[in-house]
Amino acid sequence: MLPLDTEMSKPTDLVQGTLDLLLLKLLALEPLHGWAISLRLRALSGDVLNVSEGSLYPALHKLEQEGWIKAEWKTTENNRKAKFYALTRLGKKQLEAEAANWKRLSSAISHVVQLSEI
Amino acid sequence: MKLRRLLYTVPLRLRSIFRPGQVERELEEELRFHLDHKIDEGIARGLSPQQARFAALRAMDGLDQRKEQMRDARRIHWLTDFVDDLRYATRSLRRTFGLTAFVVVTLALGIGMSAAAFSMVDGLILRPYPVPRSGDVVDLVSTTRDDGFDEFSYREYVDLRRLTTSYDGVIAGTTVLPVGFSAERGATPRIKAGMLVSGDYFGVLGVVPQIGRAFREDEDAVPGRDAVMVLGPDFWKHDFGGDASVVGRTVRLNGTDFTIVGVAPESFPGMQIFQRPDFYVPLAMARALSMDRDKNFFEDRDYRSLGVRARLKAGTALQAARHEITFLAQTFAREYPAANRDRGATVHTMFEMRTRNDFGEWKFIVIFAVLSLVVLSVACTNVAGLLLSRGQARAREIAVRLAIGAGGSRVIRMLLTESLLLAVVGGAGGVAVAYAAIRFFHTLRIPSELPVVLPFRLDERVLLASLALSISSAVACGLAPALQATRADLVNGLKSADVDVPARRRWWGRNALVVAQVSLSLVLLTASFVMMRGFRIGVDAGTGSVKDHVLMARFDPRLMQYSLPQTQRFYQLLVERAGATSGVESAALTQNPPLGLNPFDRIAFVPDGFVMPRDRETFVATMDTVDEGFFATMDVAVLRGRGILRSDSADAPLVAVVNEQFAKHYWQGEDAVGKHIRLNSGTGTLVEIVGIARTVKYRQSFEKPTDFVYLPVAQHPKSGMVLLMRSSGDPHQLVGPLESLVHALDANMPISDVRTYADVYRYNVVEGPGVGVEIVATMGAVGLMLAVAGLYGLVAYSVSRRTREIGIRMAVGASPWDVLRLVMSKGLTLVAIGVAIGLTLGLGLERLLSAFLFNAGGIDVLAYAVVVPALLTATLFATYLPARRASHIAPTQALRYE
Repeated sequence: MLPLDTEMSKPTDLVQGTLDLLLLKLLALEPLHGWAISLRLRALSGDVLNVSEGSLYPALHKLEQEGWIKAEWKTTENNRKAKFYALTRLGKKQLEAEAANWKRLSSAISHVVQLSEI
Repeated sequence: MKLRRLLYTVPLRLRSIFRPGQVERELEEELRFHLDHKIDEGIARGLSPQQARFAALRAMDGLDQRKEQMRDARRIHWLTDFVDDLRYATRSLRRTFGLTAFVVVTLALGIGMSAAAFSMVDGLILRPYPVPRSGDVVDLVSTTRDDGFDEFSYREYVDLRRLTTSYDGVIAGTTVLPVGFSAERGATPRIKAGMLVSGDYFGVLGVVPQIGRAFREDEDAVPGRDAVMVLGPDFWKHDFGGDASVVGRTVRLNGTDFTIVGVAPESFPGMQIFQRPDFYVPLAMARALSMDRDKNFFEDRDYRSLGVRARLKAGTALQAARHEITFLAQTFAREYPAANRDRGATVHTMFEMRTRNDFGEWKFIVIFAVLSLVVLSVACTNVAGLLLSRGQARAREIAVRLAIGAGGSRVIRMLLTESLLLAVVGGAGGVAVAYAAIRFFHTLRIPSELPVVLPFRLDERVLLASLALSISSAVACGLAPALQATRADLVNGLKSADVDVPARRRWWGRNALVVAQVSLSLVLLTASFVMMRGFRIGVDAGTGSVKDHVLMARFDPRLMQYSLPQTQRFYQLLVERAGATSGVESAALTQNPPLGLNPFDRIAFVPDGFVMPRDRETFVATMDTVDEGFFATMDVAVLRGRGILRSDSADAPLVAVVNEQFAKHYWQGEDAVGKHIRLNSGTGTLVEIVGIARTVKYRQSFEKPTDFVYLPVAQHPKSGMVLLMRSSGDPHQLVGPLESLVHALDANMPISDVRTYADVYRYNVVEGPGVGVEIVATMGAVGLMLAVAGLYGLVAYSVSRRTREIGIRMAVGASPWDVLRLVMSKGLTLVAIGVAIGLTLGLGLERLLSAFLFNAGGIDVLAYAVVVPALLTATLFATYLPARRASHIAPTQALRYE
C-alpha cells in the first residue's frame, strides 16, 4: 500500500456512532438530499467535526436499511432529480434514544474530566 | 417495534433482490448528484474543471470502496455471493457431466432409500396421532407376567374412568371389527370396518365432526338403547358420495337399524396405523356388533377387549399417572381375585406403544432405515472421494483464489455450494426414488378381510426429511474436500497442481471402504439372486393344492346373532346350494384356506399309546376344520384311507385326517391310518385317524413340510367359515349367483372377503416374496453402484496423484500397457479381496437362506456364475477408465507438471 497524503487519511474524528445521531438530528429538522446534508454538516460543526463525504453515503444507506430514514426522489430548485431523505417514525424514536444516550455519555465524560482536575 | 421495522426494511430488501439494476442506477445517480455539486463548488473556488473533479473524487475517499460499502448496507451480500457461487458451480459441474451425473444418481439412490425408510419409520413409529395436542394422549394397558400390553374389560374401563384423577378424560375403543353394513333394508350387507368407542371418544380426543355431532355421553349409558353412529371421512366420501344430508339417515349394521349422527373430519382417519374405521358406534351397542356371545361384554371382568387411552392432565407427570394406575391394579387384584390376580397396569406413551417388543414390524423397518442410512453415508463418502480427486485437479485454481485475497471461508463456501448443488439435485432424484419405493409398496394388494392401509406416504414430513438428508449429505460430502483444498500449501499449490503429501493412513480407510463395498454388494446380490431362485422354484413346484378356478367367501353368522343350530343349518344349506349352482364343480367349507392371511388354529394332542417326553404334556400341530368337499375342491390328494365324509357327523365316532408329514413324524415306517390321537391331554377324547392327505403349503410357498390335522366341521363346529366354490370357468362369474343364493338364505347375512383363490395365491406366493426379493436386489444393485463409484474414485484419485511418477516411468521407457497394469493392479487387488470376503460371507448367507427357503437348497453355482463376473466386469471398468487416462498421459506433459 502506498502511504497516503495525511490530509486524505481518515478524516473522521467522530466518536463511533455519533454520525448516525447527527444525521438523524439533521433530518429531523427537514428532509434533505445528500449534498445538502454534507453542506449542513460542514456549516453547523465548522472545523470541529470533520465528516468525510465518503462515509456520509454509506451511513445514509445504512440508516435507510435500518428503517430509520426513508428516501424519496424529488426535484430540486435547480430542476434536478435528487434523493431526499426524511425521518421515519421509527427514526424519531431512534433519535430520541440516541440523543438521550449521548447526553448521558457526554455528561459522564465531562464529569470524569472535571474530577481528574482536582 | 420489530414489526414496524419490517414494514420499512422488507420492501427495501426485496427491491435490492428483484430490481438490482434500478437500485444500482439510483446509487450512481445519487453519487453523481453529489459529485456534480462538489465539482461546481470547486470551480467556483477557482479550480480548473479537471482539478475540481479530482478534488471531488478525492473527498469521497475511495469512490468504489464507498459504493461497495453502500451495497453491503443492503444486507443481501450473502445472496448475491450465493447466486454467483451457484452459477459458477453449475458451470464447473456441467463441464464434468459424466462424473456429475454419476454422483447425482448415487446420492439420489442413497437419499431416496433413506427417505423411503423414513416414511416407514414415520408411519409406524413417529407420526403423531391425528388429534390436537396429541402428545398428551397416553395408552393405559393391563399387564400380566407374559403380556405387558393387554387390554381392559368394560367393567375395568368404567372403574378406571371413575377412579383415576390424572386425566382429562379416559376413553375406550375396540379394535376395528368386521360389521355387516347395508345402506338400506333388504340390501345384501357388505363387511365394513366398525369400531365400538366410548361416548366421550371424540370429545376427549378433541375431534370435532365435520358434519352433525359426536356422541352424547348419555348415548353410551344404557346397553342397547341408542343405535347411533358416526361415519369415518373416507367411508362417507366413498359410500355416501360426501353427501351432507346423511346425518339423520338410518342404515343397518348386522341387521340392526342405526342412525347416523355425524361424520368425523377429514383430519381424523382414525387412531390405528394399518386400518381406517368406516364408522364408530357407542360401546353400549356392543351386542349389536360382533362380540363373543359366550361372554357378557358389560359384566365379565375378564373379557378384555377394550384399548383404553387417556388425555394426561396438564402438569401431571407420566410417573404420577403410573403410580396411580399401579395402585388401582392392586386394588382390582384384591377385590376381584378371579379375574385380576397377578395382574398389574401401567401407562405408556404413543412411542412406547409403537415400539413395544411384541409388535415386530417396526424392528424390520428400523433395520431397513439403518441400512439405508449406511448406504447413504457410503454414498456420501464416495462422493467426497470423487470431489477430493477433483479438488486435487483444482488445487491450483484454489491456490490462485486464495493468493489474490479470497478468504478461506469464502472458498469453502464456494466449494460447499458445489456439493450443495449436487446434493439438492440428488435430493430431487431421491424424492423420485422414494416416491417410486412407496408406490411400489402400495401396489401390493393384501387379500385381507378388512382393508389394510399401508401408512407409508410421501408427505411434507418425508419431503422435509429428504431436504435435511440432502443438506447434511452436502455438508458431509463437501466439507472434507473443501477444507483439504483450502488447507493446501499456497506456495506448492501455485507451483504445481500435484501436491504430494504422504498419507498412507488415509488411504487405508478408503481401501477398506472399497473392499467392504465390493464384498457387501456381492453378498446382497447373491442373496437376492438366491431368494429369487428360491421363490421361483417354490412357484414352479406348486403348492400342492389348486390355485385357479376357485372363488372364496367368508361368513360369520355370529354377526347376525345366530345360535349354534342356526349356524350349522345355515352352512349346511349354503354348501348344498352352492354345490348345486350351475358352473360349480364342487363346493366346500374350510376355516381357513391354505396360504390365506388368517392364522390357523392349533391343536394340542397326544398320539395314543405314546410315552410323552418328561418335559411336555402334549404335542402341538396346526389344524383346519373342513367339510367333506374340501379335499376334492382344493385338489388336496388323499393318499391313504379316506377323506372326511358326510357320515362323520356330530354323533358319529370322532375322526381326523392328517397329512403325510404328520404320519411320518409320529408313525415312521408304520401305517398311520387306524391309529388314534387324544385331544388336549393324555386322557383326552380319542380321535381316529382315518386318512392321510398330501402335505401341501399351508402358510408360505417356501415353507418346510409341516404337521397338519384336518377335523370334520360337523364334529367341531365353528362360527366363522370360508366357502370355497370351484368353477369350471371363470370364478368371477360365480359372484352374482353366490350373492343371490346367500340373499335367499338370509337377506341380511354379510359376505366378506369375496375373492378368487388366485388372488390369495398371488399375494402369498408371487407378490409378497417379490417385495423381499426386490428390496434385497435394489440394495445389491445400489451396493454394486457404490462399489463401482468408490473404486473409480479411488483409482482416479491415485492416478491424479501419480501423474508425475507415471510421466517419469513412461519417459524412461514404460509402455502404456505397463502403466495400465500398474494402475489397475491396485484396484483389482482390492476387488479380489472384496470378492473373496464376499464369497465367504455369501456362502454362509446362502446356507442360512437355504435353511429358511427349503427349496433353494445346495450351493447355487448359477448365482455365483452370474454375480461374480458381473461384479468383476463392473469393477474392471471402474479401474480401467482412469487407468487408460493415465496411460495416455504424454510424458512431456506429465513432467511439465513440475
